[in-house]
Amino acid sequence: MKISLDWLKEYLDGDFSAQTAVEALERIGLMVEGREEKDGDVVLEVETYSNRPDTLGHLGMARELAAALGLRLKKRDWPLSELTVATAELAEVQILDEDLCPRYCGVVVKGIKVGPSPVWLQNRIRSMGLNPINNVVDVSNYVLFSTSHPIHAFDLGKIAGSRVLIRRAKKGEGLLCLDGTDLSLSPDMLVIADEAKPVALAGVIGGQASAVTEETRDVFIESAYFNPVSIRLTRKAAGLQTDASYRFERGADISFCPQAALMAASLLTQFGGRSSQEPADIFPLPPKKKEIILRQRRINELLGVEVDEAFVQKTLTDLEMGVELQQPGVWRVRAPSWRVDLDREADLIEEVARFFGYEKVPSVVPPLQVVAPIPDKNREKLARVRPLLFHFGFNEVVNFSFSDADRERLLATGFEAVEIRNPISARASLLRTSLLGGLLETAAWNRNRGLDAIQIFETGNVYFRDDRGCRERLTLGLLSSGPREEPHWRQKSREADKSWDTIFFHLKGTCEALLQQLRYEPFTFEKAEHPCFEPGSGLALAIKEEKVGCLGLVADRLTDAFDLKQPVGAAEIDLSLLFGKQPKPFAYEAIARYPAIIRDVSLLVPRDVVFQDICNAIGKVPLPILEEARLIDRYSGESIPKDKISLSFRFIYRHPQRTLLAEEVDRAEQQVLTQLKWAFGAQLREGGKIDNGTGKN
Amino acid sequence: MKNFESRVDELRKKFEGALVGVKDDRKLEDLRNEFLSRKRGHITQLLDELKSLSAEEKRFAGKLINDLKLYVQDQLKSFDRGALAQPGPVKSKFELRSPRVVTAQAGEFDLTLPGEKLPWGAPHPLTIFQEEIENIFLAMGFSIAEGPEIETDYYNFEALNFPPHHPARDSWDTLYLGDDLLLRTHTSPMQIRVMEKCKPPIRIIIPGKVYRREAIDPTHLPMFCQVEGLLVDEGVTLAHLKGTLEHFLKTLLGDRIEIRFRPSFFPFTEPSAEVDISCNLCRGKDPSCPICGGTGWKELLGAGMVDPQVLKNVNIDPEKYSGWAFGLGIERTAMFRYQIADMRIFYENDLRFTRQFSLK
Repeated sequence: MKISLDWLKEYLDGDFSAQTAVEALERIGLMVEGREEKDGDVVLEVETYSNRPDTLGHLGMARELAAALGLRLKKRDWPLSELTVATAELAEVQILDEDLCPRYCGVVVKGIKVGPSPVWLQNRIRSMGLNPINNVVDVSNYVLFSTSHPIHAFDLGKIAGSRVLIRRAKKGEGLLCLDGTDLSLSPDMLVIADEAKPVALAGVIGGQASAVTEETRDVFIESAYFNPVSIRLTRKAAGLQTDASYRFERGADISFCPQAALMAASLLTQFGGRSSQEPADIFPLPPKKKEIILRQRRINELLGVEVDEAFVQKTLTDLEMGVELQQPGVWRVRAPSWRVDLDREADLIEEVARFFGYEKVPSVVPPLQVVAPIPDKNREKLARVRPLLFHFGFNEVVNFSFSDADRERLLATGFEAVEIRNPISARASLLRTSLLGGLLETAAWNRNRGLDAIQIFETGNVYFRDDRGCRERLTLGLLSSGPREEPHWRQKSREADKSWDTIFFHLKGTCEALLQQLRYEPFTFEKAEHPCFEPGSGLALAIKEEKVGCLGLVADRLTDAFDLKQPVGAAEIDLSLLFGKQPKPFAYEAIARYPAIIRDVSLLVPRDVVFQDICNAIGKVPLPILEEARLIDRYSGESIPKDKISLSFRFIYRHPQRTLLAEEVDRAEQQVLTQLKWAFGAQLREGGKIDNGTGKN
Repeated sequence: MKNFESRVDELRKKFEGALVGVKDDRKLEDLRNEFLSRKRGHITQLLDELKSLSAEEKRFAGKLINDLKLYVQDQLKSFDRGALAQPGPVKSKFELRSPRVVTAQAGEFDLTLPGEKLPWGAPHPLTIFQEEIENIFLAMGFSIAEGPEIETDYYNFEALNFPPHHPARDSWDTLYLGDDLLLRTHTSPMQIRVMEKCKPPIRIIIPGKVYRREAIDPTHLPMFCQVEGLLVDEGVTLAHLKGTLEHFLKTLLGDRIEIRFRPSFFPFTEPSAEVDISCNLCRGKDPSCPICGGTGWKELLGAGMVDPQVLKNVNIDPEKYSGWAFGLGIERTAMFRYQIADMRIFYENDLRFTRQFSLK
C-alpha cells in the first residue's frame, strides 16, 4: 500500500518526520518496503496484511500512527451543498440479495462540471501511482485511498428508470466493463442493475454504459458493503482484480458507508455539485456490536511478561476501542467497526503486544521437560541407508517433484501421473511417477559440465493416482554412469571401470548391501523387463515375492533423450513398501570356534547356465558343513572351449562342534561336483582344485 | 694366623680356577657373587671373622683379605667379556621381519606418490543443513515428524484458521491437484496431524518439502524445504518462543548475529511475529546489499503463539494449554549462512557445488 506522508498529515495533528513515521510503523509490524520522494512529499510502500483492510487507506494508517506516536487524529468536516430534494425522489435503491449486499448507501449529486481535477487532487492521485482522469473519477479514488472505502459514481442519466437494483446477475446477461472486458455474467455474481440491465459488477468494476463522461452532469454515488466471499469468487471468476475488490474481499467498514458517500458528495461540491438530501441507506440487518472480554492474567500468561494495567487500557483506548473495566484485571472491549480482525481475546492480546513492543518481551528458554519422542520408522531406516550409499560412492541429489507429459511418456512407468490443475508452466504440470527422470537430468547436467564419474542417488516421493486417489511413496533412486573414480596411478583398468557390467554390478551390490544392512533377507532378483531399461538388462528386486524395486541399464531412447552418450545404470526402490516390511530380527551369533577348510574349485560350465541356477543347485545338496560357496573368478578365453565358461568357487567347510577331517571335506566336495555335473554337465577344470588348507579364525 | 693365610690362598686359587671355566656372562656373574656378595660372599665371611682376632692380627689379616678383594675385583673387571658367548635369538612362534628401511634415495618405493582413495559420496547441502537444524532441536527434547506432501484443504488451510475463500490464502499461492487436494504450501498441516494424535506436552519439528505456485527466479522456487517447530504445553509463552528461536538461530548462524522480532500476521498464530536477523554482509550500510538491501535485516522466519482456534480445532483446550510455532525456509537460511545468491543452485545438483558441503 502506497502511503503519502502529506496525505497522512490531513489526518494527523502534529508534525513528524518520514523517519519517525517509518520507525513507528515498523515497530507495530507495518513494514516499509520502499520510500520515494515526490514533489516534496514522501511516499512509503507499506506491507499490509490480509486481515487488516483498514490499513489500505491513509485514515487507517493515520490511526495506527496516532496510537504509536501518541498523536491526535484530526476531525475532518465534509460540508455539503444540498438540494431540496431527497435522494429517494431522484433514485430508487433496492437490495434484492441481502446476503451478498448487507448495506447500500447512495447519494445523488447534480450539476457537476466534469473536468480536470485541481492540482492538489491530481497530486494525491499521482502519489498513488495513478493518472488523474477527471474530477469525478479522481474523487472516487481519493475517497478510496483516503478511507480505504471504495465508492463508485454512476452517470445518473444513464441509469434506466433511475432505479438502482442490487441483485444477482441473470443467466445470459453481460457487462462491458470500464476496462474494456466484455463479461458474461452468472447468477453467482452480484450486480448493480438499472431497470433494464446490469450497470456494474458489484464491488469489482463499473460498466462503460453508465460511466461518468465529460457530458455527465448528475451522478449517483454508491457506497456499500458487499459480502467479502462473494466479491472474491466473483472477481476470480471474472479474472479481474481492482482496488475496490481488493478491499471488499478483505472486508470494508460497514459503518462507514454513509460517511464515504457524503465525503464524495462534499468534494464534488467543489465542481458545482449539489447533493440530494437524506442519502439512501439500506441496511436491513445491522450486525450486533461484539464485546470481547480481555483478562490481564491471560496477557501475562501468553506473553510471558507483566504488562501494566494502565498500559493495556491506554493502548486499547488509543486504538479507539470501547474499553470498560469490568473488574480489576478484566476489561469489556468493543472493537471499532473498521477493525474486522478483532474478534477474540487473543486478537486483543496481539494488539497489546504490538504496542508494548516485542523487543521488551524477555527471551526465556522453555523449561526442560521429558516429552516422549515420536518414533519414525522411515527416518530411522533412512538414517541407516544413507551412510551406506555414501560409502558406495553415491552423491545425494534433490530434484523437483514435477514432471511433464513428455517426460512421463518417455519414462512410460505405467503409473497414472497426478496432474496439477493450475501449473505454473507446462513443464511442471504433473508430479513425477519416477525418480529416474530427475536423475537422468542431473546426470546430463554434470556430464555436460565435464564430469565423468556420475554416481548419484535421491530419496524423495514419487506420486501417482490409483483407485484410492492420489498417492505418494518414498522412493530411492540410484544412477551410475562413467568411471567410479578419476584416473589414478593405482588403477588397473580404466576401460573396465566404465563398462556396463562394472556399472550394473556396482548398482546390484549397492542394492544387496542396502537390504542386508536393513536385514531384509532373504531377497531375490528376478529377470524382469522394464520400460526404462534395455531389453534383457532389467532385474526386479523382490522380498517374499513382492516386488520392491528394479534395476537395470537405462534404455538407449532415454540416454539419447538426455544426450548421455555412455552406459547408464539405474535402480529404484519403493522405500515406503520396503520399510513397511518386517526385517529379520537381529541376533548375535557366536564366532565359530573350529577352523574351516577352504577349497577353491574351478569348473567349466556351459555358457547358457546362469549363476543363480548353479547357486540353487549347490543349495540343494544337503551339506550342513558347507558354510559358503563364493564365486571368486569368472573366466572365458582361449584356453576354454567357446561354449563354456570357467567359474571358480571358494567352498568354505566348517563343523560347528569339531575340527573337520580332510576326508569328510573330500566327500562333501565330491557331492557338490556330482550334483553340478548331473545338473549342468559342469566339469572340473584341469588343475582346477586348490586346497587352501585350514582357514584360521 | 697361618690358618687365615692359607684360607685366603685357597680362595685365590679357587677363584683363579673358576675364572678359567667361565664361558658366559651368567657364570661370570655367579662368580662375582660367590666372592664379593655383601651378604654371603667369601670375602664378607672372612671379614666377619676378623672380629675375634687381636688388633695386630686384625691388621695383618685385614690386609690379606683386602688384597684378595682387590685382586678378585681387578680380575673380574679385566676379564675379556668379548670372548663370552652372546645370548641366542629369542625363538618366537611368529616370524618377525624387521621393517625395511626405505628412503627416497633407495628408489624401491616412491613414498611421495599420491595415496589411494575410495571415492566417497556426499550428502546434499540441504540435507546437511536440515540435519544441523534437527540436531539443535533434538538436543532440546524435540521429536521429528514428517507428513504428506499431498494434503487436503482442511489440513493445509481450514484447520489452520484460514476461512474458506479468505484472501489470507493468497499469500500461500497454491498448486491444486483436485477440488480438495493440493500440494501443501507449508509444513504447518503436520502441526494439525500431530496435535490430533498426541496430547500435550508436544515438542516437534517438521522438516519437509513444500510447494507454491511461484515462477522460478533467484529467490523463488515452486518447491522448497521448510522446517516447522511446534511446542504446546501448559504455561508456554511468547518469551519461550523468543528464547528458543534465539538459542536456535545463534547456534545455527553464530553468536554474533542479532535477532529482531516484529509483529506480523499469520492466520494460525496470534500474536504473530516475523523474525529478522542482522545482515552480516553489509551491516545495513550498503543499499545494494544482496542480502538485506541496505536495511540491515534479513527476514528469516515466521512465528507466533498458536491461535486458540487452531487448538480448538484439534480438541486442545486453549484455556489450559498454549503453544508456539515457527516456520523457516531451509534454502533461504542456507543462502544467508553461505552467502549464496541464487536459490536455484540447490536444485541444479552440480556435484562441484553439492560435494563441497560435506567438507564443512
